[in-house]
Amino acid sequence: MDLLDLIDTIQSIADGVLFGTTYALLGIGFTLIFGVMHKINLSFAAASIGAAYASLLILSAVKAPAVVVFLMAAAAGGVLGGLVYLVGFKFIPLANPLATLMSTVGLLLLIDEIIVHTTAGVPLNYPALFSDVIVPIGPFNLRGDLMFVFVLGCVCMTVLLLLLYRTKLGLATRAVSQQPTASQLCGIGIMRVNILTFVITGVVGGIAGAMTGAAIGMLSPLLSLPLTVKGLIVTVIGGLGSIPGAIVAGLVVGGLENFFQFLRGVSERDLYIMLLLFAFLVFRPGGIFTVAAGRD
Amino acid sequence: MRKFNIAIAAVFAGAVLAAPSAAPAQDRTVKITGFGAKSGVVRVFGVNSEAALKAAAEEINKAGGVTLGDGAKAKFTIEFLDDRCNAEEGISVVRRIASSDAFVAVGPTCSNVAESLFGILQKKVGDGSDSGLQFPIIADVAAKGGLAKISEWSFRNVPSEFEMYKALFAWLKTQHPDLKTIYGGVEKDFAHSNATFGVMKAQAEANGMQIVGQSEWLLADTTFSTQIRDMKRANPDIVAISAHPFTTCGALKEMERQGVKPKLLIGLTSSSSIETLQGCAKQAEGIIIPTSFAPVTPEAKKAADNVAKFGGSADLHSAAAYEIMFILKDVIEKQKIMAKPDTVKADREKMRAGLAALKETNGLLGKVGRTADREAIKPFLYVHAKGGSWQVLYKPSS
Repeated sequence: MDLLDLIDTIQSIADGVLFGTTYALLGIGFTLIFGVMHKINLSFAAASIGAAYASLLILSAVKAPAVVVFLMAAAAGGVLGGLVYLVGFKFIPLANPLATLMSTVGLLLLIDEIIVHTTAGVPLNYPALFSDVIVPIGPFNLRGDLMFVFVLGCVCMTVLLLLLYRTKLGLATRAVSQQPTASQLCGIGIMRVNILTFVITGVVGGIAGAMTGAAIGMLSPLLSLPLTVKGLIVTVIGGLGSIPGAIVAGLVVGGLENFFQFLRGVSERDLYIMLLLFAFLVFRPGGIFTVAAGRD
Repeated sequence: MRKFNIAIAAVFAGAVLAAPSAAPAQDRTVKITGFGAKSGVVRVFGVNSEAALKAAAEEINKAGGVTLGDGAKAKFTIEFLDDRCNAEEGISVVRRIASSDAFVAVGPTCSNVAESLFGILQKKVGDGSDSGLQFPIIADVAAKGGLAKISEWSFRNVPSEFEMYKALFAWLKTQHPDLKTIYGGVEKDFAHSNATFGVMKAQAEANGMQIVGQSEWLLADTTFSTQIRDMKRANPDIVAISAHPFTTCGALKEMERQGVKPKLLIGLTSSSSIETLQGCAKQAEGIIIPTSFAPVTPEAKKAADNVAKFGGSADLHSAAAYEIMFILKDVIEKQKIMAKPDTVKADREKMRAGLAALKETNGLLGKVGRTADREAIKPFLYVHAKGGSWQVLYKPSS
């Protein structure tokens, strides 16, 4: 490996880490719902992309700046999150974990097909901020739009952590997550907490969808399935229910994906990410930061 | 009075007796069933094919319809079924069509469906030991080379990408003799992209160009930075991208970010569509793509307008579906197909024989040759993206 290869390797990893922020945001959504309801919502990534598509509706009506489009995506994500709870969880017997799993698989396909039928599957341009900004650091170049995604992702994570650990809603959410029966006895409305969790994760998902669209510069229904897989990998590696774990895992998976792409090419790239997933499942099933059991 | 009553009764009786024979003559219809992807990420192909079939059927019907073997005039009706770009689904759809009175089907969208589907048809006509389905199918979209030779019941009206890229690279050699190196970008998990990239590479080498590398990505990939960095290091004169619009645009946007500016860009036939312009018109500026359709003749312009009326877009794929309707009309008339429930088997055989006998058909850009392998030799031209639209760059036949 010569110097140029080394520079390219580091550059690839840096690009991957920055793009990994979108994986981290998706991982947070998966992990929050799992943390509160102990259920996997497989439609989360599809709903996130759906929210980003919904935000494009505003662009079809008026020429709005990118920030407004992103805000619309977040709002649409919240609405979709609430709908996913109502359709996929509220009326499904929660005692049967497979029932909700299958209902969210159905929702994933449904949301995907709605997108396909609305757009005929045609990729659509998505606005980005700072897309023409390149920050040179020595021999490396950092993309302005990805750095914005990274910063926004960090802000989202901070807000979420503050929400969880500094507000009554966060306290109620953690209480429901750890002791649902005791929480109910204490007067906490479990359904209210659940639906709020879905709305909040939906908002995060909407932002993740918008950031993914902004980072790629386009939206396509092709994105739903790979992002679902990436989100799940990040959730498992980060540790089911761990927000800091999802953040770190998102960045790690993004970086490693590009690293293996550089070293071994596209046909082997995903193989190594899957091997990493299996390694975690076998040797560290609790994820990077194993969540402490019991009361906090 | 009695005579008058008898006369009235006779007139009514005559009318009643005449009615059954007159009504069917007016109501005769020939249903043509198309099939392709109408769900999933390639839905747009099915939407366009359906619109093209309906637009062509309407035009034929307006001109009086099709003359059947018994001399009756009939109108075309179109049904379009969804195979979801899935081989099993495609086979199931065709078995369903074949169990009806249909004597031909038009489709499919995806090459992987066509490859499997043509495999269940009888290989050689008249081979009693082969229990394969004896049902003629003519493909409009499935583009992978050489598929029609799988069965004598399979036909295609798709352009030959081999011929198009062969001519394109030969033309480039004369127009840009200074361009010596070429770098490829290919969507590795898509049969059509892979096969066409093989053609591009071979033709580039045949015209004295040096392949200085290739980058690979997957159909749903979201980042291209590593691949485009490799491209940048190779510093090629020409970049040839064999990928569909989503990743073509992803790669082009990354090339812009990294400042990769080849002297010439070449794209995949399927990317000469509105999707590419919707996704990345600015970055695609100048990309050259060979195509078998552009609204450059009066017939092609009319077809494009008609297809748009039915909610579709005319491109090289849907234009093929449009042409197929006129081919079917001609074959029905020449072979005296009856289109009756009791003549289905004979009608299928006549349709197959009629399609196989074709030496030339009328296309939207001119005459279309037919090969012994039941493939089409379509006229083509080169378009390039300019100012947010596809414009004709060169017509090899002119």
